[in-house]
Amino acid sequence: MAFRISDMLNCRSMVIFVLAATSFIVFSGTPSLARTVTDQLGRNVTVPDEPRRIVSLAPNITEIIFALGQEHLLIGATRFSDYPPEAEKLPKVGSYVHLDLEKIVALKPDLCIAIKDGNPIVVAKRLESLKIPVYAVDPKNLETIMQTVLEIGGLINAEKRADLLVQNMDLRIQKVKSLVSNVTHRPRVFFQIGVSPIVSVGTHTFIHGLIVLAGGTNLAEGPISYPRFSREQVLALSPEVIIITSMARAAIFEQVKAEWNKWPDLPAVRNQRIFLEDSNFFDRPTPRLVDGLELLVRLIHPELFKEAE
Amino acid sequence: MAIDIKNLNYYYGDIPALKDLTFSVTKGDFFIIIGPNGSGKTTLMKLMAGILKPKKGRLKILNRAIGNYTRKDLAKTMAFVPQIMPVDFPFSVIEVVLMGRSPYMGMLGVEQEEDLKIAKQALTFTGAEHLAHRKLDQLSGGEQQRVFIARALCQEPDIILLDEPTASLDLAHQTRLMDLMEKLKKEKGITVVMVSHDINLAAMYSDRLLLLNKGEIVCLGHPDEVLTFRTLEAAYGCTLLVDESPLGKIPRITPVPHKYLDHHQKG
Amino acid sequence: MNTDKPLLIKRLWVVSFSLMLVLLAAMFLGLSLGSSQSGIKAVFQNLLGIGPHDPMLDTIIWKIRFPRVLLATLVGGTLSLGGLVFQALLKNPLAEPYILGISGGSAIGAIIGILIGLVRFPGVSLTAFSGSIGTLLLILVMSSGQTILKKDALLLSGVMVNAFCGAIIMFLVSLTQDARLHNIIFWLMGDLSMVDMPQVGILAAMLVPCFFLLFWFSNSMNLLLMGKEMAQTMGVNVKAVTVILLVATSFMVSATVSYCGLVGFVGLVVPHLLRLLFGPDHRVLVPACVFGGGAYLVFCDVLARTLPDQGEMPAGVITAMIGAPLFIYLLKRTRR
Repeated sequence: MAFRISDMLNCRSMVIFVLAATSFIVFSGTPSLARTVTDQLGRNVTVPDEPRRIVSLAPNITEIIFALGQEHLLIGATRFSDYPPEAEKLPKVGSYVHLDLEKIVALKPDLCIAIKDGNPIVVAKRLESLKIPVYAVDPKNLETIMQTVLEIGGLINAEKRADLLVQNMDLRIQKVKSLVSNVTHRPRVFFQIGVSPIVSVGTHTFIHGLIVLAGGTNLAEGPISYPRFSREQVLALSPEVIIITSMARAAIFEQVKAEWNKWPDLPAVRNQRIFLEDSNFFDRPTPRLVDGLELLVRLIHPELFKEAE
Repeated sequence: MAIDIKNLNYYYGDIPALKDLTFSVTKGDFFIIIGPNGSGKTTLMKLMAGILKPKKGRLKILNRAIGNYTRKDLAKTMAFVPQIMPVDFPFSVIEVVLMGRSPYMGMLGVEQEEDLKIAKQALTFTGAEHLAHRKLDQLSGGEQQRVFIARALCQEPDIILLDEPTASLDLAHQTRLMDLMEKLKKEKGITVVMVSHDINLAAMYSDRLLLLNKGEIVCLGHPDEVLTFRTLEAAYGCTLLVDESPLGKIPRITPVPHKYLDHHQKG
Repeated sequence: MNTDKPLLIKRLWVVSFSLMLVLLAAMFLGLSLGSSQSGIKAVFQNLLGIGPHDPMLDTIIWKIRFPRVLLATLVGGTLSLGGLVFQALLKNPLAEPYILGISGGSAIGAIIGILIGLVRFPGVSLTAFSGSIGTLLLILVMSSGQTILKKDALLLSGVMVNAFCGAIIMFLVSLTQDARLHNIIFWLMGDLSMVDMPQVGILAAMLVPCFFLLFWFSNSMNLLLMGKEMAQTMGVNVKAVTVILLVATSFMVSATVSYCGLVGFVGLVVPHLLRLLFGPDHRVLVPACVFGGGAYLVFCDVLARTLPDQGEMPAGVITAMIGAPLFIYLLKRTRR
């Protein structure tokens, strides 16, 4: 049966009306689907109420989103977003210091979450000029990490889970604090993050905070964040505990340990308190830092746990 | 007068190179400057070419002080042919010759028909037209020199200055070059001023000769007057024999090797 | 005698036009290829305005790739031209645009800017630029005991200052442990990714007049090759021309480096390549360097962006990997 012209015209006008109505609803509805928030750098950012396509611009942010159970919202992440292992499958958008603008734009995100220390602000600005909101966080220590978790939770509609996560973190931290509150001696800890040259951690690092919380003394504390030491200087400091973290494999650790064992006068050598730990627990501003804290307490104050047993 | 020099002085730092020189070069002359090493010949040439500025004294080109010429005007009046050809100079012959037209062309040196014509003529005059499209560094020393002379001719100068042009040429090319200079003088009326180390050639070609020593004029005039035993020995400080060339009333200078000197053999 | 060798104007147009075409082709490649697989056909359609309109593709092509391609053109042209001019001025085929202390000085300036936490624009750019101009002045003072005309003094001072700066740079790098180290390394290797259109516009406004100025003096450069004294007898104001060329070129190269770090090898190899192809006449080589050098860097940058699986290589790696063999090949071919 052939269409008559009047039918066609009716058909067309119906379609146009429906389209117009839908557009009207959609576009008039759009303003209410976004809100303005202030990120951790004090910037005002307009973010969607329900972000569905999030790109994480740093590995720790990826971790946090996974920890909040919202990984289905992630459509891209930077390289080295390797925890949890599922994160590796996400499309890569460059490294956190050298972001690939094109890849990010091609993914059509409705929100990007950035980290102050590392992401070039230039890229954040360009993303915003392309109408992609960028929310920046700046986790500097355990407290601000918990704050970050809460804020990200608020952004992605996972407030409840964020609360839970933060409460759990807080509990564990308080437990460590109370355990440590009665110790009389704070062992001298040398935390080695670089093998050649020997590099340790200063006051303005996550690790320093963890060492202090775990009841130790950070031998490398001071204004320089990553100070270098010669072997002599370390010997002079006479560490009681040496903790080595690096991306190195076990074989290299044995070499490094053997190097230290050449100096039997070191308390750490005498008491066989040289340990290798996974750096991921210590240098990423994520909830796993609490795991790192618990690890440290066991290494620095093993006597506290012997009693428990 | 083509070149007029009065009380010309030049020093390098504290060391005097030319002391109070006064002389002039007549238009259309073949004027050759000779003298031992260090006599100041090259300095004098550079002053005349406008490369160096006189410290004291007066230098006039065609009755106008050299300082009053603009660079381009001076280039149109006087052309300089260097002793050593530039190294690493990968241009073709015709390109080099056309560079001689730069005082007449604009900043970009866009060549016109006229410029090409003059370049062609210059190459023909120096007998190098068959080399036009060869690369300069593929030519022999003598051929390169002819190309540079052709370039100099393109400047349409009244005066041409040459710095020891025969220094690295073989016998045939030496004469050829000097003949070319004579041709320039006779056919184009160009004043040729040359620094030479070859006294005999200078004797055969020059209208006037200037003998320099230690920055001062020893003698200036016709070869006959200048090339005498006394003046030459004093200037060059070695034993010389001066007689007459078989070609005519031209002085011929023969340096005397030590073994030909009269010595009393001792014991 | 056959003087039918094409006159300058014709040669100039032929070379410029053909290289401009090469540049446009390279730019098209640069707009079509990138880390998001958009496909050449899609880009072609977008450029011609036909086919379905995809705003995301639009953004990628015009807001992300186009500034970068334009920057690569400007940088490639500037560096090649800089190499050309310094090779003529210093009469040394090994001369390259960074030789008069520009690489050392700008790097130190940039590193200091990065270490004290300045942003790339305008902060680090300004410190890099000042560092560059500072070392240039230092070199001019050092070698001015003899006049500027003594080219070896200039060259040697430049080499020494660069070497000294290199030591300082390595020292500063060794002290840096955090994310700033990445920024420094990227800057040192040359980084074309950090610019947007307004910034490219500013750079173009600074560079294009320099291109024209250097073209204006291109015949003088030919004459200078004959030797400073000879050039003077042919009417060239050698001192003035040398100063103008030096200042303009240094300014141009410094501005470029302050935008994108030390992209290497372009300024050394492109002038030689073009000389092998088109002859030694600077009047032809100046525009050839601008278009040809631009095309070369655009092309190398495309490879740098698309070859690696992850991230991108520094463009300077590609320029060397392609340029060196290409140059050797051309050299052998023209030896006969």
